[in-house]
Amino acid sequence: MRERVKTDMSGAAVALDYDAQLMLRVKEGDGASFGVLLEKYRSSVVHFLYRMVQNQAVAEELAQEVFLRVYRSRTSYEPTAKFTTWLFRIATHLALNSIRDGKSERLQERLDKDSPDQPVRQVSDQRPSAEQSMVYEARLAEVRQAVAALPEKQRAAVLMHKYQEMEYSQIARALSCSESAVKSLLFRAYETLRARLAHMA
Amino acid sequence: MKCPMETGESVDLLVPYAARKLDAGTLAALERHLEACSACREFADGQRAVWGALDVWEAAPVSSDFDRRLSERIAERVGWWELALRPLRPLMGWRVLPVAAAACAAILGAMLLERPSGPVRPAPVTAQVEAMQPDQVEHALDDLEMISQFDRSVRADSGSPRI
Repeated sequence: MRERVKTDMSGAAVALDYDAQLMLRVKEGDGASFGVLLEKYRSSVVHFLYRMVQNQAVAEELAQEVFLRVYRSRTSYEPTAKFTTWLFRIATHLALNSIRDGKSERLQERLDKDSPDQPVRQVSDQRPSAEQSMVYEARLAEVRQAVAALPEKQRAAVLMHKYQEMEYSQIARALSCSESAVKSLLFRAYETLRARLAHMA
Repeated sequence: MKCPMETGESVDLLVPYAARKLDAGTLAALERHLEACSACREFADGQRAVWGALDVWEAAPVSSDFDRRLSERIAERVGWWELALRPLRPLMGWRVLPVAAAACAAILGAMLLERPSGPVRPAPVTAQVEAMQPDQVEHALDDLEMISQFDRSVRADSGSPRI
């Protein structure tokens, strides 16, 4: 299957080397390299966590903890996996714990369409009409509810697959499961989402 | 091509198809199959709809003070004795300080052993330095150096919006 999917292996290899090299520099005491990694992955980590817990404040708090753990683990860091895999493994672990601990409790209640946690839609040249805004908000609420209703691991797998464009092997390492288990998680998750969202085509 | 729904390859083929991630050869073969297989076509159409629906969900921008807060949290982890060593940083070389700390610890230890026995008195404040290992000192100074480097980069980036 690997050969059937378009992959930019040279790009991935370069990315692996670069991020791992940066982290190894952090290990040697280079704070600026930590800043580079933070700049590179800050948004993806916060966005992933936001979509997991659906609360911006909780997502940023968890993201702070992710980067804090990266910083604190620098002395023992070994580049045995892609840096992003390691990073999202930490993020997923914290997100799942947060959900289980109830830090993002009443998730469904917060899916109110007037929630301040929702991003402000950026419209560069044309302002949407009131009707367009209402349609957008309704679709967004539907998507958020559909994702929130997924079991935690399925949710994490879908978010890493869809938004972080991670390969099955990376998702498997991040979730501490086999690649076939990831495929099974994704199959079930997308099946549920198709049932709830297919009409949005 | 065998039907991906029958071979259990829907996640391997139909999901990447909807995400436009198949290579040209596989894509052509799958599209030929889709013309003849309504089950796969239905799956692929539904998956494409899901993919498009998920695109609607934009994430909020990251707070502009995220880096500053992180920098503060990292600094909070630095102990008081590490902060006390900060002024010594310019005076000490990387390798000199551990040796000096070890020497201080040895001298203090010798002084304590030489002391005549008597009523137990509270340990002097300097005795706390004795518990500090040379590698701890070096580690602490590494932390301080990293935090100051990170702070500089945070200051350089401050004011730029996070997307």
